[in-house]
Amino acid sequence: MKDSTLFRVLLSIGKYSVLAVVLIFTLGPFAWLVVSSFKPAEEIFRQIPTWYSENFTLANYRWALGPLGANIGRFLSNAFAASAGTALLSLLFAAIGGYSLARYQFPGYKAVSVVLLLAQMFQGPLIMVPWYKMAAALGILNTKLVLALIYGTTTIPVSVWLMSGFYRHVPRTLEEAALVDGCSRLGALWRIIVPSAAPGLVATTLFAFVTAWNDYQYALILTSSDKAKTIQVGISELVGFMGMSNWGGIMASGVLATIPIIFIFAYIQKYLIEGLTAGAVKG
Amino acid sequence: MGGHPLAQLRLFVRRHGFAWALILPTLLYLLAFQIYPLLQSVYLSLTDLSLTRAGTGKFVGLANYYYLLKSDPQFWLIFRNTFIWVVACAVGQYLFAVPAALILNTKLRARGLWRGLIMVPWVTPVVVVGIMWRWILDGDSGLLNYYLNVLGLIEKPIIWLGSDFWVWPAVISASIWKGFPYQTIMLLAGLAGIPKEVHEAAQVDGATPVQRFFLITLPLLAPVSVVLLSITVVTTWTKFDLIWLLTEGGPGFTTSILPTYVYSNAFVFYKLGLASAVATLSALVVMVLAIVYMRWVNTDVE
Repeated sequence: MKDSTLFRVLLSIGKYSVLAVVLIFTLGPFAWLVVSSFKPAEEIFRQIPTWYSENFTLANYRWALGPLGANIGRFLSNAFAASAGTALLSLLFAAIGGYSLARYQFPGYKAVSVVLLLAQMFQGPLIMVPWYKMAAALGILNTKLVLALIYGTTTIPVSVWLMSGFYRHVPRTLEEAALVDGCSRLGALWRIIVPSAAPGLVATTLFAFVTAWNDYQYALILTSSDKAKTIQVGISELVGFMGMSNWGGIMASGVLATIPIIFIFAYIQKYLIEGLTAGAVKG
Repeated sequence: MGGHPLAQLRLFVRRHGFAWALILPTLLYLLAFQIYPLLQSVYLSLTDLSLTRAGTGKFVGLANYYYLLKSDPQFWLIFRNTFIWVVACAVGQYLFAVPAALILNTKLRARGLWRGLIMVPWVTPVVVVGIMWRWILDGDSGLLNYYLNVLGLIEKPIIWLGSDFWVWPAVISASIWKGFPYQTIMLLAGLAGIPKEVHEAAQVDGATPVQRFFLITLPLLAPVSVVLLSITVVTTWTKFDLIWLLTEGGPGFTTSILPTYVYSNAFVFYKLGLASAVATLSALVVMVLAIVYMRWVNTDVE
Protein backbone atom coordinates (compact mmCIF):
# COMPACT_ATOMS: atom_id res chain seq x y z
CA MET A 1 0.00 0.00 0.00
CA LYS A 2 1.27 3.42 -0.83
CA ASP A 3 1.05 6.22 1.64
CA SER A 4 -1.48 8.43 -0.09
CA THR A 5 -0.51 11.66 1.74
CA LEU A 6 3.15 11.20 0.85
CA PHE A 7 2.15 10.39 -2.71
CA ARG A 8 0.07 13.54 -2.91
CA VAL A 9 2.89 15.69 -1.52
CA LEU A 10 5.35 14.23 -4.04
CA LEU A 11 2.87 14.75 -6.85
CA SER A 12 2.36 18.34 -5.85
CA ILE A 13 6.12 18.97 -5.63
CA GLY A 14 6.52 17.48 -9.12
CA LYS A 15 3.69 19.60 -10.45
CA TYR A 16 5.06 22.86 -9.09
CA SER A 17 8.58 22.00 -10.31
CA VAL A 18 7.30 21.58 -13.87
CA LEU A 19 5.41 24.85 -13.48
CA ALA A 20 8.59 26.55 -12.24
CA VAL A 21 10.60 25.28 -15.23
CA VAL A 22 7.92 26.49 -17.66
CA LEU A 23 7.79 29.91 -15.98
CA ILE A 24 11.57 30.30 -15.83
CA PHE A 25 11.84 29.55 -19.55
CA THR A 26 8.95 31.92 -20.29
CA LEU A 27 9.86 34.84 -18.08
CA GLY A 28 13.65 34.46 -17.82
CA PRO A 29 14.57 36.11 -21.14
CA PHE A 30 12.10 38.93 -20.51
CA ALA A 31 13.36 39.46 -16.96
CA TRP A 32 16.92 39.57 -18.32
CA LEU A 33 15.87 42.34 -20.72
CA VAL A 34 14.36 44.35 -17.88
CA VAL A 35 17.31 43.80 -15.52
CA SER A 36 19.83 44.75 -18.20
CA SER A 37 17.95 47.95 -18.94
CA PHE A 38 18.75 49.22 -15.42
CA LYS A 39 22.46 48.43 -15.53
CA PRO A 40 25.27 50.82 -16.39
CA ALA A 41 27.39 49.81 -19.37
CA GLU A 42 30.31 48.39 -17.36
CA GLU A 43 27.95 46.04 -15.54
CA ILE A 44 26.27 44.92 -18.76
CA PHE A 45 29.51 43.61 -20.20
CA ARG A 46 30.81 42.14 -16.95
CA GLN A 47 32.26 38.65 -17.26
CA ILE A 48 30.06 37.26 -14.47
CA PRO A 49 26.52 38.50 -15.11
CA THR A 50 24.18 39.24 -12.21
CA TRP A 51 20.39 39.17 -11.98
CA TYR A 52 20.34 42.50 -10.18
CA SER A 53 21.94 45.86 -10.80
CA GLU A 54 24.68 46.88 -8.35
CA ASN A 55 24.57 50.48 -9.49
CA PHE A 56 20.93 50.82 -10.42
CA THR A 57 20.61 53.51 -13.07
CA LEU A 58 17.97 55.17 -15.20
CA ALA A 59 20.59 56.46 -17.63
CA ASN A 60 19.54 53.94 -20.28
CA TYR A 61 15.98 55.26 -20.17
CA ARG A 62 17.20 58.85 -20.35
CA TRP A 63 19.27 57.85 -23.38
CA ALA A 64 16.29 56.08 -24.99
CA LEU A 65 13.94 59.02 -24.60
CA GLY A 66 16.35 61.94 -24.63
CA PRO A 67 17.04 64.16 -27.63
CA LEU A 68 20.77 63.39 -27.43
CA GLY A 69 20.21 59.63 -27.38
CA ALA A 70 17.86 57.45 -29.38
CA ASN A 71 15.00 59.93 -28.96
CA ILE A 72 12.40 57.21 -29.42
CA GLY A 73 9.50 59.47 -28.42
CA ARG A 74 8.81 60.33 -32.06
CA PHE A 75 8.74 56.62 -33.03
CA LEU A 76 6.41 55.87 -30.12
CA SER A 77 4.04 58.59 -31.23
CA ASN A 78 4.13 57.42 -34.87
CA ALA A 79 3.38 53.87 -33.75
CA PHE A 80 0.57 55.14 -31.55
CA ALA A 81 -1.03 57.06 -34.42
CA ALA A 82 -0.74 54.18 -36.90
CA SER A 83 -2.04 51.66 -34.35
CA ALA A 84 -4.92 53.87 -33.24
CA GLY A 85 -5.88 54.35 -36.90
CA THR A 86 -5.79 50.60 -37.46
CA ALA A 87 -7.87 50.01 -34.35
CA LEU A 88 -10.57 52.50 -35.40
CA LEU A 89 -10.66 51.09 -38.92
CA SER A 90 -11.05 47.55 -37.60
CA LEU A 91 -13.70 48.62 -35.10
CA LEU A 92 -15.76 50.15 -37.89
CA PHE A 93 -15.63 47.10 -40.17
CA ALA A 94 -15.97 44.55 -37.39
CA ALA A 95 -18.95 46.25 -35.70
CA ILE A 96 -21.09 45.86 -38.83
CA GLY A 97 -19.46 42.91 -40.64
CA GLY A 98 -19.36 40.74 -37.53
CA TYR A 99 -23.04 41.38 -36.95
CA SER A 100 -23.89 40.19 -40.44
CA LEU A 101 -22.06 36.91 -39.93
CA ALA A 102 -23.50 36.39 -36.46
CA ARG A 103 -27.16 36.86 -37.34
CA TYR A 104 -27.78 36.03 -40.98
CA GLN A 105 -27.41 32.84 -42.99
CA PHE A 106 -27.27 34.70 -46.30
CA PRO A 107 -26.32 33.06 -49.63
CA GLY A 108 -22.54 33.37 -49.87
CA TYR A 109 -22.02 33.10 -46.11
CA LYS A 110 -19.68 30.17 -46.57
CA ALA A 111 -17.70 31.95 -49.28
CA VAL A 112 -17.33 35.05 -47.09
CA SER A 113 -16.01 32.90 -44.24
CA VAL A 114 -13.48 31.34 -46.57
CA VAL A 115 -12.34 34.76 -47.79
CA LEU A 116 -11.86 35.94 -44.19
CA LEU A 117 -9.81 32.86 -43.41
CA LEU A 118 -7.67 33.12 -46.55
CA ALA A 119 -7.07 36.84 -45.95
CA GLN A 120 -5.33 35.96 -42.71
CA MET A 121 -3.07 33.51 -44.53
CA PHE A 122 -1.92 35.61 -47.52
CA GLN A 123 0.11 38.13 -45.61
CA GLY A 124 3.57 39.60 -45.31
CA PRO A 125 5.98 38.73 -48.12
CA LEU A 126 3.11 37.53 -50.30
CA ILE A 127 1.68 41.04 -50.69
CA MET A 128 4.44 43.44 -49.69
CA VAL A 129 6.05 44.10 -53.09
CA PRO A 130 2.83 45.17 -54.85
CA TRP A 131 1.87 47.15 -51.74
CA TYR A 132 5.10 49.07 -51.94
CA LYS A 133 4.41 49.86 -55.62
CA MET A 134 0.80 50.76 -54.90
CA ALA A 135 1.77 53.06 -52.01
CA ALA A 136 4.40 54.75 -54.18
CA ALA A 137 1.88 55.26 -57.00
CA LEU A 138 -0.65 56.78 -54.58
CA GLY A 139 2.02 58.98 -53.01
CA ILE A 140 1.41 57.60 -49.52
CA LEU A 141 4.74 55.86 -48.93
CA ASN A 142 6.25 56.75 -45.58
CA THR A 143 2.98 57.84 -43.96
CA LYS A 144 1.04 56.60 -40.97
CA LEU A 145 -1.96 56.24 -43.27
CA VAL A 146 -0.38 53.53 -45.42
CA LEU A 147 0.53 51.60 -42.28
CA ALA A 148 -3.05 51.70 -40.98
CA LEU A 149 -4.30 50.57 -44.40
CA ILE A 150 -1.97 47.58 -44.71
CA TYR A 151 -2.47 46.59 -41.06
CA GLY A 152 -6.17 46.55 -41.84
CA THR A 153 -5.64 43.57 -44.15
CA THR A 154 -4.52 41.60 -41.09
CA THR A 155 -6.74 43.05 -38.39
CA ILE A 156 -10.06 43.48 -40.21
CA PRO A 157 -10.63 39.78 -41.05
CA VAL A 158 -9.67 38.73 -37.50
CA SER A 159 -11.79 41.48 -35.94
CA VAL A 160 -14.85 40.65 -38.05
CA TRP A 161 -14.49 37.04 -37.07
CA LEU A 162 -14.01 37.80 -33.36
CA MET A 163 -16.97 40.17 -33.32
CA SER A 164 -19.26 37.65 -34.98
CA GLY A 165 -18.48 35.38 -32.02
CA PHE A 166 -19.19 38.11 -29.47
CA TYR A 167 -22.46 39.12 -31.17
CA ARG A 168 -23.70 35.52 -31.00
CA HIS A 169 -23.69 35.86 -27.21
CA VAL A 170 -26.15 38.77 -27.41
CA PRO A 171 -29.67 37.33 -27.10
CA ARG A 172 -31.80 37.71 -30.22
CA THR A 173 -34.76 38.81 -28.13
CA LEU A 174 -33.03 42.17 -27.57
CA GLU A 175 -33.18 43.27 -31.19
CA GLU A 176 -36.55 41.61 -31.74
CA ALA A 177 -37.94 43.80 -28.98
CA ALA A 178 -36.30 46.86 -30.50
CA LEU A 179 -37.78 46.07 -33.92
CA VAL A 180 -41.24 45.66 -32.43
CA ASP A 181 -40.80 49.07 -30.78
CA GLY A 182 -40.31 50.54 -34.24
CA CYS A 183 -36.52 50.66 -34.41
CA SER A 184 -35.00 50.18 -37.86
CA ARG A 185 -32.62 47.25 -38.21
CA LEU A 186 -29.66 49.58 -38.36
CA GLY A 187 -31.04 51.52 -35.41
CA ALA A 188 -31.40 48.33 -33.39
CA LEU A 189 -27.81 47.40 -34.21
CA TRP A 190 -26.49 50.80 -33.23
CA ARG A 191 -28.59 51.48 -30.15
CA ILE A 192 -29.15 48.00 -28.69
CA ILE A 193 -26.70 45.42 -30.00
CA VAL A 194 -23.47 47.41 -30.14
CA PRO A 195 -23.78 48.58 -26.52
CA SER A 196 -24.59 45.01 -25.40
CA ALA A 197 -21.47 43.70 -27.10
CA ALA A 198 -19.30 46.59 -25.87
CA PRO A 199 -16.75 44.51 -23.92
CA GLY A 200 -16.17 42.36 -27.02
CA LEU A 201 -15.84 45.46 -29.18
CA VAL A 202 -13.28 46.95 -26.81
CA ALA A 203 -11.28 43.71 -26.75
CA THR A 204 -11.38 43.40 -30.54
CA THR A 205 -10.34 47.02 -31.06
CA LEU A 206 -7.47 46.80 -28.61
CA PHE A 207 -6.32 43.54 -30.18
CA ALA A 208 -6.12 45.32 -33.53
CA PHE A 209 -4.12 48.06 -31.79
CA VAL A 210 -1.68 45.52 -30.33
CA THR A 211 -1.29 43.72 -33.67
CA ALA A 212 -0.45 46.99 -35.41
CA TRP A 213 1.87 48.14 -32.64
CA ASN A 214 3.85 44.89 -32.75
CA ASP A 215 4.28 44.78 -36.53
CA TYR A 216 7.77 45.01 -37.88
CA GLN A 217 7.81 43.68 -41.43
CA TYR A 218 5.30 46.05 -43.03
CA ALA A 219 6.64 49.14 -41.28
CA LEU A 220 10.15 48.18 -42.37
CA ILE A 221 9.32 48.32 -46.07
CA LEU A 222 6.78 51.16 -46.08
CA THR A 223 8.40 53.79 -43.86
CA SER A 224 11.75 55.48 -44.29
CA SER A 225 11.96 58.60 -42.13
CA ASP A 226 11.12 59.99 -38.70
CA LYS A 227 7.84 61.18 -40.13
CA ALA A 228 6.32 57.70 -40.04
CA LYS A 229 8.83 55.14 -38.71
CA THR A 230 7.30 53.10 -35.91
CA ILE A 231 8.92 52.18 -32.63
CA GLN A 232 9.70 48.68 -33.93
CA VAL A 233 11.66 49.96 -36.90
CA GLY A 234 13.28 52.59 -34.67
CA ILE A 235 14.54 49.99 -32.19
CA SER A 236 15.73 47.57 -34.87
CA GLU A 237 17.81 50.39 -36.34
CA LEU A 238 19.40 51.16 -32.98
CA VAL A 239 20.93 47.71 -33.10
CA GLY A 240 22.19 48.39 -36.58
CA PHE A 241 23.65 51.81 -35.76
CA MET A 242 25.01 51.14 -32.32
CA GLY A 243 26.05 47.53 -32.66
CA MET A 244 27.49 46.48 -29.34
CA SER A 245 27.97 49.93 -27.97
CA ASN A 246 24.74 50.69 -26.15
CA TRP A 247 22.91 47.49 -25.32
CA GLY A 248 21.55 49.03 -22.12
CA GLY A 249 19.85 51.82 -24.05
CA ILE A 250 18.50 49.36 -26.61
CA MET A 251 17.07 47.17 -23.83
CA ALA A 252 15.47 50.22 -22.21
CA SER A 253 13.85 51.12 -25.54
CA GLY A 254 12.60 47.55 -25.83
CA VAL A 255 11.04 47.71 -22.38
CA LEU A 256 9.34 51.01 -23.24
CA ALA A 257 7.91 49.48 -26.43
CA THR A 258 6.56 46.43 -24.61
CA ILE A 259 5.13 47.71 -21.33
CA PRO A 260 2.04 49.45 -22.78
CA ILE A 261 1.24 46.33 -24.78
CA ILE A 262 1.43 44.09 -21.73
CA PHE A 263 -0.97 46.37 -19.84
CA ILE A 264 -3.45 46.47 -22.71
CA PHE A 265 -3.23 42.75 -23.05
CA ALA A 266 -3.74 42.07 -19.37
CA TYR A 267 -6.89 44.15 -19.63
CA ILE A 268 -8.42 42.39 -22.66
CA GLN A 269 -7.04 38.90 -22.00
CA LYS A 270 -10.22 37.28 -20.73
CA TYR A 271 -12.44 38.29 -23.67
CA LEU A 272 -9.75 37.89 -26.26
CA ILE A 273 -8.78 34.33 -25.31
CA GLU A 274 -12.43 33.35 -25.23
CA GLY A 275 -12.96 34.73 -28.73
CA LEU A 276 -9.74 33.38 -30.23
CA THR A 277 -10.10 29.86 -28.92
CA ALA A 278 -13.80 29.48 -29.69
CA GLY A 279 -13.26 28.95 -33.42
CA ALA A 280 -10.27 26.65 -33.17
CA VAL A 281 -11.75 24.31 -30.60
CA LYS A 282 -14.99 23.82 -32.46
CA GLY A 283 -12.82 22.94 -35.47
CA MET B 1 -38.27 29.77 -58.32
CA GLY B 2 -38.06 31.36 -61.74
CA GLY B 3 -39.62 34.68 -62.56
CA HIS B 4 -38.10 37.78 -64.09
CA PRO B 5 -34.38 38.21 -63.28
CA LEU B 6 -35.06 41.74 -62.06
CA ALA B 7 -37.84 40.52 -59.79
CA GLN B 8 -35.52 37.85 -58.47
CA LEU B 9 -32.89 40.45 -57.77
CA ARG B 10 -35.43 42.58 -55.92
CA LEU B 11 -36.42 39.59 -53.83
CA PHE B 12 -32.78 38.81 -53.06
CA VAL B 13 -32.11 42.38 -51.97
CA ARG B 14 -35.17 42.42 -49.76
CA ARG B 15 -34.23 39.14 -48.12
CA HIS B 16 -30.49 39.37 -47.88
CA GLY B 17 -29.69 42.98 -48.72
CA PHE B 18 -29.15 44.05 -45.13
CA ALA B 19 -26.77 41.17 -44.32
CA TRP B 20 -24.82 41.77 -47.51
CA ALA B 21 -24.67 45.52 -47.01
CA LEU B 22 -23.03 44.99 -43.61
CA ILE B 23 -20.36 42.58 -44.82
CA LEU B 24 -19.74 44.28 -48.17
CA PRO B 25 -17.34 46.96 -46.84
CA THR B 26 -15.07 44.24 -45.46
CA LEU B 27 -15.12 42.35 -48.76
CA LEU B 28 -14.40 45.48 -50.79
CA TYR B 29 -11.54 46.36 -48.47
CA LEU B 30 -9.98 42.96 -48.90
CA LEU B 31 -10.58 43.07 -52.66
CA ALA B 32 -8.73 46.37 -52.97
CA PHE B 33 -5.96 45.86 -50.47
CA GLN B 34 -5.34 42.14 -50.51
CA ILE B 35 -6.74 40.33 -53.53
CA TYR B 36 -5.64 43.04 -55.94
CA PRO B 37 -2.05 43.09 -54.56
CA LEU B 38 -1.92 39.29 -54.80
CA LEU B 39 -2.89 39.39 -58.48
CA GLN B 40 -0.53 42.31 -59.03
CA SER B 41 2.21 40.19 -57.51
CA VAL B 42 1.57 37.46 -60.09
CA TYR B 43 1.76 40.06 -62.86
CA LEU B 44 4.97 41.62 -61.49
CA SER B 45 6.54 38.18 -61.34
CA LEU B 46 6.28 38.05 -65.13
CA THR B 47 8.25 41.29 -65.56
CA ASP B 48 11.88 42.26 -65.10
CA LEU B 49 11.00 45.27 -62.92
CA SER B 50 13.98 46.64 -61.02
CA LEU B 51 14.25 49.88 -59.10
CA THR B 52 17.94 50.38 -59.82
CA ARG B 53 17.81 50.15 -63.61
CA ALA B 54 15.82 52.45 -65.88
CA GLY B 55 13.51 51.07 -68.56
CA THR B 56 12.68 47.88 -66.70
CA GLY B 57 9.21 46.50 -66.09
CA LYS B 58 8.94 44.75 -69.45
CA PHE B 59 6.99 41.52 -69.75
CA VAL B 60 9.49 38.64 -69.71
CA GLY B 61 7.15 35.66 -69.42
CA LEU B 62 8.35 32.96 -67.10
CA ALA B 63 11.99 34.09 -67.12
CA ASN B 64 12.06 34.79 -63.37
CA TYR B 65 10.67 31.35 -62.62
CA TYR B 66 13.16 29.68 -64.96
CA TYR B 67 15.94 31.54 -63.23
CA LEU B 68 14.76 30.58 -59.73
CA LEU B 69 14.04 26.93 -60.43
CA LYS B 70 16.87 26.22 -62.90
CA SER B 71 19.86 28.53 -62.41
CA ASP B 72 19.58 30.30 -59.04
CA PRO B 73 22.26 28.63 -56.90
CA GLN B 74 20.41 29.50 -53.66
CA PHE B 75 16.74 28.88 -54.41
CA TRP B 76 16.50 25.18 -53.58
CA LEU B 77 18.59 25.59 -50.45
CA ILE B 78 16.25 28.38 -49.36
CA PHE B 79 13.19 26.33 -50.26
CA ARG B 80 14.45 23.42 -48.15
CA ASN B 81 15.36 25.80 -45.32
CA THR B 82 11.81 27.15 -45.31
CA PHE B 83 10.38 23.67 -44.80
CA ILE B 84 12.82 22.89 -42.01
CA TRP B 85 12.13 26.20 -40.31
CA VAL B 86 8.36 25.96 -40.54
CA VAL B 87 8.16 22.35 -39.37
CA ALA B 88 10.73 22.84 -36.60
CA CYS B 89 8.91 25.92 -35.29
CA ALA B 90 5.48 24.31 -35.36
CA VAL B 91 6.59 21.02 -33.81
CA GLY B 92 9.01 22.65 -31.35
CA GLN B 93 6.36 25.06 -30.10
CA TYR B 94 3.93 22.16 -29.77
CA LEU B 95 6.36 20.05 -27.74
CA PHE B 96 6.70 22.93 -25.27
CA ALA B 97 3.03 23.83 -25.33
CA VAL B 98 1.69 20.36 -24.44
CA PRO B 99 3.42 20.05 -21.04
CA ALA B 100 2.78 23.73 -20.30
CA ALA B 101 -0.93 23.30 -21.05
CA LEU B 102 -1.17 20.06 -19.06
CA ILE B 103 0.40 21.65 -16.00
CA LEU B 104 -1.71 24.80 -16.26
CA ASN B 105 -4.81 22.63 -16.56
CA THR B 106 -4.27 21.00 -13.15
CA LYS B 107 -5.39 22.47 -9.86
CA LEU B 108 -2.80 25.10 -8.91
CA ARG B 109 -2.57 28.00 -6.52
CA ALA B 110 -2.94 31.31 -8.38
CA ARG B 111 -3.51 29.48 -11.67
CA GLY B 112 -4.98 32.53 -13.36
CA LEU B 113 -1.79 34.47 -12.67
CA TRP B 114 0.43 31.76 -14.17
CA ARG B 115 -1.84 31.47 -17.19
CA GLY B 116 -1.54 35.20 -17.70
CA LEU B 117 2.23 35.35 -17.23
CA ILE B 118 2.82 32.60 -19.75
CA MET B 119 1.46 34.90 -22.44
CA VAL B 120 4.23 37.47 -22.04
CA PRO B 121 6.33 36.14 -24.97
CA TRP B 122 3.29 36.08 -27.23
CA VAL B 123 2.59 39.80 -26.75
CA THR B 124 6.23 40.90 -26.74
CA PRO B 125 6.92 42.68 -30.06
CA VAL B 126 9.09 40.60 -32.38
CA VAL B 127 11.72 43.34 -32.52
CA VAL B 128 12.10 43.16 -28.76
CA VAL B 129 12.27 39.37 -28.99
CA GLY B 130 15.04 39.90 -31.52
CA ILE B 131 17.18 42.17 -29.34
CA MET B 132 16.54 40.06 -26.25
CA TRP B 133 17.73 36.86 -27.93
CA ARG B 134 20.63 38.49 -29.70
CA TRP B 135 21.79 39.66 -26.32
CA ILE B 136 21.28 36.24 -24.67
CA LEU B 137 22.96 34.42 -27.59
CA ASP B 138 25.79 36.94 -27.86
CA GLY B 139 29.17 35.21 -28.29
CA ASP B 140 31.16 37.40 -25.89
CA SER B 141 28.79 38.56 -23.16
CA GLY B 142 25.73 36.36 -23.72
CA LEU B 143 23.94 34.75 -20.81
CA LEU B 144 23.62 31.38 -22.52
CA ASN B 145 27.36 30.90 -23.03
CA TYR B 146 27.96 31.97 -19.43
CA TYR B 147 25.61 29.35 -18.01
CA LEU B 148 26.83 26.58 -20.34
CA ASN B 149 30.33 27.42 -19.22
CA VAL B 150 29.40 27.40 -15.53
CA LEU B 151 27.76 23.99 -15.99
CA GLY B 152 30.92 22.78 -17.70
CA LEU B 153 29.14 21.95 -20.94
CA ILE B 154 31.35 24.13 -23.13
CA GLU B 155 34.94 25.32 -22.87
CA LYS B 156 35.01 27.98 -25.55
CA PRO B 157 32.14 30.40 -26.11
CA ILE B 158 29.89 29.50 -29.05
CA ILE B 159 29.12 32.21 -31.60
CA TRP B 160 25.51 31.02 -31.83
CA LEU B 161 24.26 33.23 -34.64
CA GLY B 162 27.50 33.11 -36.63
CA SER B 163 27.95 29.35 -36.79
CA ASP B 164 26.53 27.28 -39.65
CA PHE B 165 25.76 24.50 -37.23
CA TRP B 166 24.44 26.33 -34.16
CA VAL B 167 22.47 29.06 -35.89
CA TRP B 168 19.44 26.84 -36.57
CA PRO B 169 18.99 25.60 -33.00
CA ALA B 170 19.47 29.21 -31.86
CA VAL B 171 16.82 30.79 -34.10
CA ILE B 172 14.40 27.91 -33.54
CA SER B 173 14.74 28.37 -29.76
CA ALA B 174 13.84 32.03 -30.09
CA SER B 175 10.85 31.08 -32.22
CA ILE B 176 9.71 28.45 -29.72
CA TRP B 177 9.91 31.03 -26.95
CA LYS B 178 7.83 33.51 -28.91
CA GLY B 179 5.31 31.02 -30.26
CA PHE B 180 4.57 28.34 -27.67
CA PRO B 181 2.28 30.49 -25.49
CA TYR B 182 -0.27 30.84 -28.28
CA GLN B 183 -0.34 27.08 -28.73
CA THR B 184 -0.62 26.63 -24.96
CA ILE B 185 -3.69 28.86 -24.83
CA MET B 186 -5.32 26.91 -27.65
CA LEU B 187 -4.51 23.56 -26.02
CA LEU B 188 -5.89 24.79 -22.68
CA ALA B 189 -9.17 25.53 -24.44
CA GLY B 190 -9.04 22.04 -25.96
CA LEU B 191 -8.35 20.46 -22.57
CA ALA B 192 -11.26 22.34 -21.03
CA GLY B 193 -13.50 20.60 -23.57
CA ILE B 194 -12.56 17.08 -22.46
CA PRO B 195 -15.30 15.80 -20.13
CA LYS B 196 -14.11 14.86 -16.64
CA GLU B 197 -16.12 11.62 -16.77
CA VAL B 198 -13.84 10.17 -19.46
CA HIS B 199 -10.83 10.44 -17.19
CA GLU B 200 -12.72 9.23 -14.14
CA ALA B 201 -13.95 6.15 -15.99
CA ALA B 202 -10.44 5.35 -17.16
CA GLN B 203 -9.14 5.80 -13.63
CA VAL B 204 -11.72 3.35 -12.33
CA ASP B 205 -10.59 0.87 -15.00
CA GLY B 206 -7.07 1.16 -13.62
CA ALA B 207 -5.40 3.29 -16.32
CA THR B 208 -2.18 4.98 -15.16
CA PRO B 209 -1.74 8.74 -15.69
CA VAL B 210 0.69 8.02 -18.56
CA GLN B 211 -1.79 5.68 -20.23
CA ARG B 212 -4.54 8.21 -19.78
CA PHE B 213 -2.40 10.89 -21.42
CA PHE B 214 -1.58 8.82 -24.51
CA LEU B 215 -4.90 7.00 -24.87
CA ILE B 216 -7.35 9.74 -23.90
CA THR B 217 -5.94 13.26 -23.67
CA LEU B 218 -3.75 13.24 -26.76
CA PRO B 219 -6.33 11.69 -29.14
CA LEU B 220 -9.01 14.08 -27.87
CA LEU B 221 -6.66 17.01 -28.44
CA ALA B 222 -6.04 15.92 -32.04
CA PRO B 223 -8.63 18.22 -33.67
CA VAL B 224 -7.43 21.38 -31.93
CA SER B 225 -3.82 20.29 -32.48
CA VAL B 226 -4.28 20.04 -36.23
CA VAL B 227 -5.91 23.45 -36.31
CA LEU B 228 -3.21 25.18 -34.32
CA LEU B 229 -0.33 23.43 -36.07
CA SER B 230 -1.80 24.52 -39.41
CA ILE B 231 -2.16 28.08 -38.14
CA THR B 232 1.45 28.07 -36.94
CA VAL B 233 2.75 26.65 -40.22
CA VAL B 234 0.99 29.29 -42.28
CA THR B 235 1.87 32.26 -40.08
CA THR B 236 5.51 31.14 -39.92
CA TRP B 237 5.49 30.75 -43.70
CA THR B 238 4.49 34.39 -44.14
CA LYS B 239 6.96 36.03 -41.75
CA PHE B 240 10.53 37.05 -42.23
CA ASP B 241 10.76 39.26 -39.15
CA LEU B 242 12.30 37.03 -36.48
CA ILE B 243 14.96 35.46 -38.70
CA TRP B 244 15.76 38.80 -40.31
CA LEU B 245 16.22 40.43 -36.90
CA LEU B 246 18.43 37.64 -35.61
CA THR B 247 20.59 36.71 -38.61
CA GLU B 248 19.42 38.53 -41.76
CA GLY B 249 19.31 35.04 -43.28
CA GLY B 250 22.97 34.38 -42.58
CA PRO B 251 25.65 33.33 -42.10
CA GLY B 252 25.75 33.21 -45.89
CA PHE B 253 22.38 31.77 -46.86
CA THR B 254 22.25 29.26 -43.99
CA THR B 255 19.07 30.65 -42.42
CA SER B 256 17.58 32.26 -45.53
CA ILE B 257 13.95 31.31 -46.02
CA LEU B 258 11.49 32.27 -48.74
CA PRO B 259 10.12 35.25 -46.77
CA THR B 260 13.61 36.71 -46.21
CA TYR B 261 14.43 35.99 -49.85
CA VAL B 262 11.41 38.02 -50.98
CA TYR B 263 12.48 40.84 -48.71
CA SER B 264 16.15 40.89 -49.67
CA ASN B 265 15.46 40.58 -53.40
CA ALA B 266 12.91 43.37 -53.29
CA PHE B 267 14.26 45.81 -50.74
CA VAL B 268 17.98 45.15 -50.61
CA PHE B 269 18.63 44.43 -54.30
CA TYR B 270 15.48 46.17 -55.64
CA LYS B 271 14.65 43.32 -58.04
CA LEU B 272 10.90 43.61 -57.66
CA GLY B 273 10.11 41.22 -60.52
CA LEU B 274 12.24 38.42 -59.16
CA ALA B 275 11.01 39.03 -55.61
CA SER B 276 7.42 38.77 -56.88
CA ALA B 277 8.20 35.41 -58.45
CA VAL B 278 9.47 34.15 -55.09
CA ALA B 279 6.37 35.59 -53.42
CA THR B 280 4.08 33.92 -55.95
CA LEU B 281 5.73 30.53 -55.45
CA SER B 282 5.31 31.02 -51.67
CA ALA B 283 1.69 31.94 -52.18
CA LEU B 284 1.15 28.70 -54.13
CA VAL B 285 2.40 26.69 -51.18
CA VAL B 286 0.14 28.65 -48.83
CA MET B 287 -2.76 27.96 -51.20
CA VAL B 288 -2.08 24.22 -51.04
CA LEU B 289 -1.83 24.36 -47.24
CA ALA B 290 -5.07 26.34 -47.09
CA ILE B 291 -6.92 23.81 -49.26
CA VAL B 292 -5.66 20.87 -47.23
CA TYR B 293 -6.58 22.69 -44.04
CA MET B 294 -10.11 23.54 -45.17
CA ARG B 295 -10.72 20.02 -46.49
CA TRP B 296 -9.61 18.64 -43.17
CA VAL B 297 -11.75 20.98 -41.10
CA ASN B 298 -14.78 20.24 -43.30
CA THR B 299 -14.47 16.46 -43.24
CA ASP B 300 -14.03 16.67 -39.49
CA VAL B 301 -17.34 18.46 -39.14
CA GLU B 302 -19.23 15.92 -41.28
